[in-house]
Amino acid sequence: MKMKLLTTAILSSAMAFGMAGAAQADEFPTKPLTLVVGFGAGGSTDIQARVLANVLEEELGQPVNVVNQPGAGGGVALARLANNTDEGYTFVFGTSMTITFGPLSTETTYQLDDFRYVAGVTLGQSAMVTGEDREFGDTWEGLIEYARENPGTSYATQTALDRMIIEYIARQEGLELRIVPTAGGAGMAPLILSGDVDFGYSGGTHSGYADSGEMPVLLSLAEDRLVAFPDAPTVQEAGYDLDTSDFRVVVVPKNTPDAHVERLAEALEAATQDERFIEITEERILMPVHFIGEEEATEMLHAQSESYRQLLKAMGGVPDDE
Amino acid sequence: MIGFDAILASFAAALHYESIVIILGGVLLGYVVGVIPGLNRAVAIAIAIPLTFYMSPYAAIAFLIGLSKGTAAGSAVSAILLNTPGEPSSAATCLDGYPMARDGKPRKALKVGLLASVIGDLLATLLLIVVVIPFASVALKFGPYELAAILIFALVFIAAMAGGSFLKGLAAGGMGIILGTVGLDPETGAARLTFGYAELMEGVPILPLVIGTLALAEMFVQLDEYRRNKGASVIKLSHDKADDLSYQEFKGTLPTILKSTGVGAFVGALPGLGPSVGAFMAYGLAKRSAKDPDSFGKGNPNGIAAAEASDNAVIPASYIPLFGLGIPGSVSAALLVGAFMIHGIQVGPLMLRDHPEMLFTLFSGMIVASLLMLAVGWYGLRIFARVTSVPPHIVIAVVIFLCLAGIQVQGYGTFGLITVFVFAIFGYFLKKFDYSFVTFLVAFIVTPMLEMNLRQSVILSGGEIGILLERPIALAFVILTVVMVLHLGWSSYRRRMQARFKARAGR
Repeated sequence: MKMKLLTTAILSSAMAFGMAGAAQADEFPTKPLTLVVGFGAGGSTDIQARVLANVLEEELGQPVNVVNQPGAGGGVALARLANNTDEGYTFVFGTSMTITFGPLSTETTYQLDDFRYVAGVTLGQSAMVTGEDREFGDTWEGLIEYARENPGTSYATQTALDRMIIEYIARQEGLELRIVPTAGGAGMAPLILSGDVDFGYSGGTHSGYADSGEMPVLLSLAEDRLVAFPDAPTVQEAGYDLDTSDFRVVVVPKNTPDAHVERLAEALEAATQDERFIEITEERILMPVHFIGEEEATEMLHAQSESYRQLLKAMGGVPDDE
Repeated sequence: MIGFDAILASFAAALHYESIVIILGGVLLGYVVGVIPGLNRAVAIAIAIPLTFYMSPYAAIAFLIGLSKGTAAGSAVSAILLNTPGEPSSAATCLDGYPMARDGKPRKALKVGLLASVIGDLLATLLLIVVVIPFASVALKFGPYELAAILIFALVFIAAMAGGSFLKGLAAGGMGIILGTVGLDPETGAARLTFGYAELMEGVPILPLVIGTLALAEMFVQLDEYRRNKGASVIKLSHDKADDLSYQEFKGTLPTILKSTGVGAFVGALPGLGPSVGAFMAYGLAKRSAKDPDSFGKGNPNGIAAAEASDNAVIPASYIPLFGLGIPGSVSAALLVGAFMIHGIQVGPLMLRDHPEMLFTLFSGMIVASLLMLAVGWYGLRIFARVTSVPPHIVIAVVIFLCLAGIQVQGYGTFGLITVFVFAIFGYFLKKFDYSFVTFLVAFIVTPMLEMNLRQSVILSGGEIGILLERPIALAFVILTVVMVLHLGWSSYRRRMQARFKARAGR
C-alpha cells in the first residue's frame, strides 16, 4: 500500500513537471509575472507601470504584479534583477539613465551587458524647471543671467546624472550654485513650488503642472522640445554639447530565453497601441508613447553610455572599472 | 464655487445602497487586516488596487479609503487583546490596552478604543473637509527649515515620553538613528553601512524591522512566558456586566479623545510623520498632562483613548496635503495617488476645479465610512475578539506565519526573512532588558526625513543659522524644542531628587 502510494506520488509529480516543462516551452507565461518599479509608489514611473501591468495582464493572460523597489535612482531594482534567474517572469520597468549612467557614476553590482532590453515604450520628458513669479522669469537665459549675478542660486537635484549635467553647465557658464539633494519628484516639487529652491531637475513631475503653469520648464533635457512645453529650448539649442535624452525601457536578465523575450516584446508592442496606456502616458504624464525594439534599444543604450563616459571624463571622474 | 445643491447631491450619491455596500466591504476588510498583525495597510491597499479596477472611480477610492480607515480601527483589537499591534501605529495602544485587558476589562478597553477611533476619525474627516482648500496656500510655504524643525520637535517629544532610564532611552534612540542612516547618502550617493548588500542601499526595509521588533519579538517573549507558565490566561471577553463601558467612564475619556484628535489631525496634516508619531505624541501628551501619570502603562483607559483617537485622526488628516497639494504624505496616500491615476483623475488642487462633485462625494463617503466603522466595530466586537479564544500555541504559530507571509507578500524575499529574524532577536533583547523600543522605532523612522531636510536647510542657507530669523515657523519649533528639553530635564531631575530624598527618609 505504502509502496503504491509512493509510486503514484512519484509518477504524478513527474507528470506535473513534464507538463510544466512542455507548457513553458510552448506558451510563456504559465504563472503570474512581476513588474518591478525602481521608484516609489505614486511617482510618474509607478503610475505608468501600474497601467502597463494591467494591459500586459490581458495580453499575456497571466496576472502581472507591480512591486516597488525604490533606491539609488532605480539602481536597487536593477542590482536585484541582475541576479534573478526566473527567465523573464520578473522584469524591471525603468529609465535608460539608470542603466547607462548608474554603472559609470557609482559602484554598481550590474553593468550594461548584464541585461536584455526587451523594448522601449516611452520617450522621457525630463527638464530643468522652476516655479511661478521668479525674479529671473521663466526663461533659461534669464536664469543663467540671474545665477551669474547671484552666487548661491539654488538647484534641486534628484539623481547623480542631473547633478553632473548641472555641474557641467555651471562650469561652462561660470556659475556658483548651491546644489540641494531631494528624494524624487515628490521631494522636489514642494521645494520648487514654495520658492525655497530657485530651480531644479524634474523627471516628469512638471507635466502635472502643465495646465496650471505653476512649474514652468526652463530647459528640455529630451532630444526634442517637450510636447507640453514647446517654448523651452533643448540642451543642444541652449549651447551645451550633451546627450541627455532618456527613454523608459523594460529590462530582463541576460539569461532570459529568446522565446520569452519575444513574447514580452509582442505584448509590449501591443501595449503601446492600447488606448489606456496611451491615455495615461500622453494625457496624464504627458510623455510620447514610442515603441523601440530590442536591437535599436540596445544600440541606443550603448551610444548613450559612451556619451556619458565622455562627459564624466570631461568632468574628471571616470571610474577605472575596465 | 460649489453650491449647496452640489453638496446635497454628493451626499445622496454616498448614501446610495451600492456605495454603502462597497464602503462597508472596504471597512470590513480593513478591520480584518487591521486585526491581523503583519498584514498592514500598505499591503492591503496595494493588493486591493487591482480589485478596484472594475469599479467606478468614486467606488474605487471610497473602497480604498474605507479599507485604510478600517485598518486603523481594527488594529486596536489585536493591540489590546494580543499586545501585538495590528498596524505599527497602534503600538501606543498596547501600552495601556493590554494591561487593562489583562486585568479583566478587555471589553471596556475595546469599546474605549473603538469610540476613540470613531470620534477621532469622524472629527478629523470633518476637519479635512473644512481646511483642505485654505490649507493648500499655507502649507505651500513649508520648506525644509520648517520640516526639519518639526521633525526634531517630534523626535524629542517622543524620546521624552518613553520614560525609564534616560541612558537606556538615549541608547535605544541612537540605535534607531544609526539604522536610519543605513543606505545611500542622499547627497553624495555613497553607500553607508550596507556591507555590500544591494538590498540595504535603500536603507533597512521598514516593514521587516517593524514586524521583527514589534510582532515577532513579542511572539518570542510570549513563547518564553508560555513555556514557563503554561496555564497563562488568554484574554477573553466575558459577559460580566462590570466589564461594560458605562456612559460615565466614556465621558471621563472624552477630553483626552478630543485633545488627542487635535494632535493626530495636526501630525497627519504634516506630510510624512504618519500615524505612529501621532499616536505616540498624543499618548505622551495625555500622560504628561494627567494628574496620575504613573497609572499610564498599567491600564489607564485614557492611554487607549489618546493613542486610538490620534491614530485614527491621522488617516483623514493625512489626506489634507494629498487633496490640498497633490503630495502624498504617507505610503497609503501614495498608493491612493496611483489608484486615482488609474481611474484618470489627477489628485491635488486641480481636483477641486476639475472634479468638484467627485471630491465632495468622496468626503461624504468618508463620513459614511466613519459611521460604518462604529457599527462594524460595535457589533463585530465579539467576532473580532474571538481570535484570542484560540489557545496561544495556535495564535503564536499563526501570527508568526502571518508575519513572515506579510514579508513575502511585500516582495522582500529571503533577505526580508533574515532581516525580520535579526530584528526579532534584537527586539526580544530590547524588551527583556527594558530598552525603549518606541524611541528606537521612532528614531529609525524619522531619521531619513530629518537628515534630508536638515541637509537641505544647511545647504540652502549656506550654513548661516541666522536664516531661522526669516523663518518664524521653524524658529518657533526650534525654541519650543529647546524649552521642552529644558523643562523635561528639570522635571525629571527634580523627580529623581525627590525619590532620593524619600528613599533616604524612609531608611
